[in-house]
Amino acid sequence: MDWTFLATQATVNGLIVGLLYLLMAVGFTLVFGVMRMVNFAHGEFYMLGAFGAYFLVSGAQLPFMAAVAITFAGALAGGALLEWGVLKPFRRDELNGMIATIGLAMILQNLALMFFGPDPLSMPPVAEGVTRLGKAVVPTARLYVVVFACAVLALLYGFLRFSRPGRALRAVVEDMEIAAIQGIRSRLYYPLGFGLGAGLAAVAGALMAPLFSVSPFVGGAPLLKAFIVVILGGLGSIPGAAVAAMLLGLVESYASLLLAGSTADMLIFAIVMAMLVLRPKGLLGRGEA
Amino acid sequence: MKIPHIVLLSSVLAAGGGAQAQDTLTLGALVTLSGAGAAWGQGMKNAAEIAADQVNKAGGLDVGGRKYQVKVVAYDDKYQANEAVTVANRLVFEDKVKYIIGPVGSAPVLAIQPITEKNRVIVMTLGFTAKALSEDKPYTFRPNVTTAEVSQPQIDWLVRTQGIKKVGALFPNDETGQQIAQDLEAAYKKAGAKLPVKEFFERDRVDFVPLLTRMLARGIDAIELDGNSPATAGMIVKQARELGYAGKIVRTGGPATQEIVNVAGKAATQGMFVHTPIDPELPSTKAYMDLYAARYKHSMNGFSPAFYDGANLLFEAMRRAGTVDDTEKVRAELERISGFEGALGRLGWTGKAMYGIDHQLDAPFYVAEVQDGKEVIRARCTVEGCR
Repeated sequence: MDWTFLATQATVNGLIVGLLYLLMAVGFTLVFGVMRMVNFAHGEFYMLGAFGAYFLVSGAQLPFMAAVAITFAGALAGGALLEWGVLKPFRRDELNGMIATIGLAMILQNLALMFFGPDPLSMPPVAEGVTRLGKAVVPTARLYVVVFACAVLALLYGFLRFSRPGRALRAVVEDMEIAAIQGIRSRLYYPLGFGLGAGLAAVAGALMAPLFSVSPFVGGAPLLKAFIVVILGGLGSIPGAAVAAMLLGLVESYASLLLAGSTADMLIFAIVMAMLVLRPKGLLGRGEA
Repeated sequence: MKIPHIVLLSSVLAAGGGAQAQDTLTLGALVTLSGAGAAWGQGMKNAAEIAADQVNKAGGLDVGGRKYQVKVVAYDDKYQANEAVTVANRLVFEDKVKYIIGPVGSAPVLAIQPITEKNRVIVMTLGFTAKALSEDKPYTFRPNVTTAEVSQPQIDWLVRTQGIKKVGALFPNDETGQQIAQDLEAAYKKAGAKLPVKEFFERDRVDFVPLLTRMLARGIDAIELDGNSPATAGMIVKQARELGYAGKIVRTGGPATQEIVNVAGKAATQGMFVHTPIDPELPSTKAYMDLYAARYKHSMNGFSPAFYDGANLLFEAMRRAGTVDDTEKVRAELERISGFEGALGRLGWTGKAMYGIDHQLDAPFYVAEVQDGKEVIRARCTVEGCR
């Protein structure tokens, strides 16, 4: 075997997958930051996003970009509405709120099962063929998805860093009470934060729909990855999530190159456990105040 | 308790008014009608109903000088062993059936056999487990071919005609996957090829790119998909093609072509070799498919014709035995049937070498090549070999 080729290939694969994990984790950690609550329905928003993109592209014949944008807007509105309608009573009661999100996840998944059926659907690929980066081979479809994902993350960064509501949202993530004293209205930012999280999950689902298949059960695995990323990076920390997602992608890729498949999966969880024991607040987390 | 009385009353009236001197023969359909295995279970129940309709229209099943109207009673086992036992009890002790079509799953059939064998109830199961058939289970038959029958002849044919030498495969990391990996490795070795690259993964995995990268780097000329669920197999095909893999893809067991094409798309599946239990061009099979399409709206599952044949084999055995009650005689006659012209083609029994008893249907099966998302038959096979 050509080890330099395999190592380059594994690095490229790892970075791509890491980016996809990041997209999934960033919404998850944002919701946690704002609401101090783990959103177990995050995976189901991913699933709904995948279905949204599937129907808009295969059914309504829209271009992929437009489909992703509409899916995001829909999930943002839907997520905000759900927060306002379902999770509002749990705003100061995080533990019960988490149970409510588990219920929400079950309801969403079973609704999808009722309306879309259990059979996996396939979306046409965004692009055909492979692109060669030096020695490494990358499916062109994945490259497109990477570009879209980077664009989404750049937009999110711009929004959080420079726009008024973005800065307000960051203030809420930093410290809810101080933010409230500064005149930031939390009744607006709870639904916005949750909706943004749901929207990001839906975008992740929409972007990954052409790479993987679309079915009511696709949300479980990405939720687990988001969980791992967020634990490694520190709950609520977006830069932490970025570092952890890339690290997870690379470790997974190298591990499955060098070890048997199951051993690689075990290794990931061994790392998570070591992290929880040695540095419970995560790579860049601030710990719980 | 009002409704059962009315039903009872009306059925008495119907029996009294319509066919006076006729008796009723009840077939039990103990199949999966909801959840994961529902497509298979539906196909089996419908097959029994079509077969029953046909004899009823011809004036009833003529056994020992008496005419029997055939009725099918269906229960759902939900693909679970405990449910299967509950409904098997109901069929055997309340409905007093002597013949059961089903169950779908391996665990359910093993679970009901203590009841059915002891009470001499003839069972026609789909269950793929090798343990379903054995010398000490004389009342269980299997009217469909399983991976154990189909993989070796197909692999021999693929190695011989397609020049496959070095095969790679991905398997789910559980008992089924480990078992199939062993069986396939032996089968490829016997055929004169090798399966040197095996990767195991956890069942919920969706990204196969790292595993495939490593596999393709070892220079394989075919990927085997047997042992993977339809959706997973589709994902492997899709991602292997995205990585620029241009070699052959084969699936030598488990009909799943439509699902794989749904997931991977027509372009990625072009030229893939797959196992299929039916040849839609065969006149008898086509006749059955037309019957099915006329009566049921949904598309037919590939296992359905096998159970239409299974029901007809039962009827034939009853005719020959001259009784519907003495299942000992019916079973003996059923075993003796050979050269029976069914929907699948010419049928007989086999399995002595593998299971210790000739209760496995010997039916033709096929290797098809996928062209534009559709199966095109390339080789016709029996347990002896493919041509």
